[in-house]
Amino acid sequence: MEWFEAGLNAPLIAVRAIHFAATAITTASLIFRAVVLEPALASGQQLPCSSQMTNSLRAQIARLTWIGLGVTVFSGVIWVLVEAASMSGVPLGEAMNSGVLQTVLQETQFGQVCEIRFVFSLILAACLAWHRFAFANWFAFASGLAIAAGIAWTGHAGSTPGELGDMHVAGDALHLLAAAAWVGGLLPLALMLAAAAKETSLAFPSLASNVTRRFSALGLISVAALAATGIINAWILVGSIQALVSTGYGRLLVLKLVVFVLMLMFAAYNRYWLTPRLTYSSDNNLMVPTLHQLTRNSVIEIALGFAIFAIVGMLGTMHPAIHLL
Amino acid sequence: MCLSSILRIMPLTLLLATGEASAHAMLDHAEPRVGNKVATAPREVTLWFTQKLEPAFSTITVTDSTGKRVDTGKTRVNGSQMSVSLRSQASGTYHVIWRVLSVDTHSTDGSFTFQVGQ
Repeated sequence: MEWFEAGLNAPLIAVRAIHFAATAITTASLIFRAVVLEPALASGQQLPCSSQMTNSLRAQIARLTWIGLGVTVFSGVIWVLVEAASMSGVPLGEAMNSGVLQTVLQETQFGQVCEIRFVFSLILAACLAWHRFAFANWFAFASGLAIAAGIAWTGHAGSTPGELGDMHVAGDALHLLAAAAWVGGLLPLALMLAAAAKETSLAFPSLASNVTRRFSALGLISVAALAATGIINAWILVGSIQALVSTGYGRLLVLKLVVFVLMLMFAAYNRYWLTPRLTYSSDNNLMVPTLHQLTRNSVIEIALGFAIFAIVGMLGTMHPAIHLL
Repeated sequence: MCLSSILRIMPLTLLLATGEASAHAMLDHAEPRVGNKVATAPREVTLWFTQKLEPAFSTITVTDSTGKRVDTGKTRVNGSQMSVSLRSQASGTYHVIWRVLSVDTHSTDGSFTFQVGQ
């Protein structure tokens, strides 16, 4: 019995999954800094941090953004090449040399959206390089959002015709941004929690506590957006319970939902059990084990999130269930 | 049966009728209709799909009962609709072969016939 679908394009699925994960990390690093870290530093709700500590945190997030952007661009180029071969039905080498690549880039929506996202990647790189200018941070933030949201126009949502298509692509863009903010944001959070647990002074764990609470709020908003837009996507691409359980696409979506619920369980444990313990602890000996637990749970959530990116990489190459029933 | 149910079943019915479609953009309906008989030869063949199409990788080829190509070779694409003009006005069986790339980057192909004559 074929549980999912025969003839899946493994290189295409792999490059899509890597590209989605790298994009999420890039965008999330920018969101994390703008919405979580900087407001936490400015709030004064924790013990005073040294400028060395805050500069080190900002540098760590900047490194993460650079790495994410590099992998996003590299995997994006590979994605375009693999898609060009897939669209034209010719081998990869021939697709690169026969004008097919030019046709894909100039005459298909996928190619044009990839070019626009590449331009935003260049803008983001320039903004990261000249980060000392205040406006550069806002341009970087906006470019990061555009790079993630732009993926919506390359997939199923981008091809849905009519007014339903407008709603589909808007919902999918929001879904991508929410997923990036939550799943991608776990990486800078985990790095910061791990660093805080190694600190001997209380200032860093105190900041980590403030940041964790702020990230929890961002996580709640993201989960609400993911649930709402996920329902819209499922309604358009699956359409019925029967399609959900009797098609490969539907079964894979169920698997994605199961992994999503597992992530939610870890997030809820972190939010409602571990985070309050950070707030109430003024003793470093009590905080450190909690920080370790939070770090470990965040790493598990990241692994589950990457599993979801792999599933999404596969879903985008499959028949939407609604077309099969 | 309500209209929405009929519309939902229509692509599957066409899929079974053509027997070849196998990916994302599926043939929703065609004019002349799949398998139908029309009194006079149409000036063009138009196909409607379930998703938006990429003009650069979407084509229709029409042949007559002898296998001779009778379309002008210039496929026009507008959203999820695709047309090609015909050069022949003769009676007989026409074979329509289509290959499309939907905007979500997936290729689909299929074929059907229609008849012209009394």
